[in-house]
Amino acid sequence: MPIVQLGEAGRWTNYHGTGVCEDVTRFALRSGDAQRGRDELAIAAGAVREWLARAKAAGKRARPLGAGWSPSNINICADGWLLHTRRFNRCFRVAPVDVRPAVDARALMLVEAGALVDEVSDKLEEQGRSLWTSGAGNGQTFAGACATGTHGSMIARGGIQDHVRAVQIVTPAGVFWVEPEQGVMSDGFVAATGSTLLRDDDVFAAVRLPVGSLGVVTAMVVDSVPKFLVRPIQNLRTVRREALDWLAAGDFRRFSAAYALDRDPDFVQMIVNPYKPFKRPAMLRFLYREPWRTDYARAAPGELGAGYDALSLLGRLLDDYRFARGALLQFAMKLGYASGPDVDDPPVYGSWGEGLDTHRPLADLFNASVTIDRADLPHVFELVCRAYARHGGSTVMTVRFMERAEGLLAPARFPHNAVIDFDGPRSARTAKAYAAVVDLLDAEGVAFTRHWAKSCQLDAARVAADYGEDLQRWCAARDRLMPDPADRAVFRSRVLDGLGLTC
Amino acid sequence: MLWVGWALAALALALLAGQYAAGQADMFVSIANPRPLDEERMIVTLKGWGFAVASAQPFIASASDHGLSDVRVFATRRQMLVSIASFGFLRPVTVAWRAHAGILPLGDA
Repeated sequence: MPIVQLGEAGRWTNYHGTGVCEDVTRFALRSGDAQRGRDELAIAAGAVREWLARAKAAGKRARPLGAGWSPSNINICADGWLLHTRRFNRCFRVAPVDVRPAVDARALMLVEAGALVDEVSDKLEEQGRSLWTSGAGNGQTFAGACATGTHGSMIARGGIQDHVRAVQIVTPAGVFWVEPEQGVMSDGFVAATGSTLLRDDDVFAAVRLPVGSLGVVTAMVVDSVPKFLVRPIQNLRTVRREALDWLAAGDFRRFSAAYALDRDPDFVQMIVNPYKPFKRPAMLRFLYREPWRTDYARAAPGELGAGYDALSLLGRLLDDYRFARGALLQFAMKLGYASGPDVDDPPVYGSWGEGLDTHRPLADLFNASVTIDRADLPHVFELVCRAYARHGGSTVMTVRFMERAEGLLAPARFPHNAVIDFDGPRSARTAKAYAAVVDLLDAEGVAFTRHWAKSCQLDAARVAADYGEDLQRWCAARDRLMPDPADRAVFRSRVLDGLGLTC
Repeated sequence: MLWVGWALAALALALLAGQYAAGQADMFVSIANPRPLDEERMIVTLKGWGFAVASAQPFIASASDHGLSDVRVFATRRQMLVSIASFGFLRPVTVAWRAHAGILPLGDA
């Protein structure tokens, strides 16, 4: 039996300590030792379906849990059953006979739902392949990161869920293998996973980003690109106002030439101090993609970073000493983010996986974001900084760039997106300042969305307004997957109900 | 000579404040390729300036057949105050750890 109960009912706290599940019974789904991945999936998915049926019969709500990473508490439910998937983490290479004609099997990998982004990255690199984008951290499960639309700042790419080509998802009513209409895996392979085949573009677009509401994702087929190197440049520079116009127009080459190398960057990130953003130096990070080779000088991790509780300490200081906020934030930027290598330093390189941050929990984390049309950046950037600073926001602001992401509920829904993150120590004042930013954007008539995994204060009315017809298509896909309201009710929680995703 | 007394008192106070702050520092040790499961924690109390040790539970990490992924050691504010108030006779610290989920070889689909 691949599912075991972990002790008696009790309390569970999520990864970053932002939410607590009271009175929950915890279970763990574990990988087996079946020779083939499809056999393993058939056994595990059957066990998950049985587990869901037991939860439904017991009148309990069920929630899959990956790394428990999301600070938005989207993974929190009370008096329910939690299914930990972290030890369901095997990865499998795909053979040409497993896929439909014209599908390149070498690019695909079958991944169990508990594998971390880091594990998926490692296993792809073993095969000379790579993810093409991911978030800044690598401690989420791949399935969890996709479920919330995690993204990085690869300027020509979308979200991490764009890698997904097929999904195995389990509901109380059945085990489904969901693909786009044109198909990916062979019918024989799908049958061997014990799944009912569902080739439907809308359902696939829904399960690519399910926000934990469409069932338990047990496996995914992940796409990749040939392994590549990136050269990082990270420096502190005072950014001029007109540089925002270059970024808004997508002229990243000009931005790079002004502050780093005179070549096209693949990744651009700007961490700014909202207190005098054009006077205090911003921490800029550029990545330049190069073909893979084995003989390269490796980038070393930063020698000094903020300790586990530095954020909490800084949060208290920032809350108490208003006059010093700008200077303290600047100090925190220098302490918390490794500086260099700069333009004049000897070049160093790393694979995409080597460049991801090692994950560790952060104390008292606040994180929130707004995703806007990149063209709106020059108009709103300074206004956002001013509103956030005036209301006492105590985090830096990070600006990242990405293209439209896949999935009906992908927050990156503009053709070209700029994402402004507010990540740092948690305080009531910072949450209020973020709310002021939201009000400001509404008052300015600027369209924006918010990240599912972050503390973005979303509600059902807002989700409906932000996603419009795409939300209706997502709900229709959910109802096709789970026609019985009693099955849908198994995945309800206070947070998801509040977002209008589970009714 | 009064000022010498005040200076010594100030120095002692500064030493105490420094110990109180530094004692709450968080030491985080991780293996190179972490694959952490949920965090568990226990309180270990050093007694008699370290001559004896007591803990509310044995150091048994559940699901640790693949070893530990990382360990944190820190004292809370209350634990540091207990330590200072008892002149160091009692020194409670919190040990938090996360077991490793395991790294399995790449298989065939």
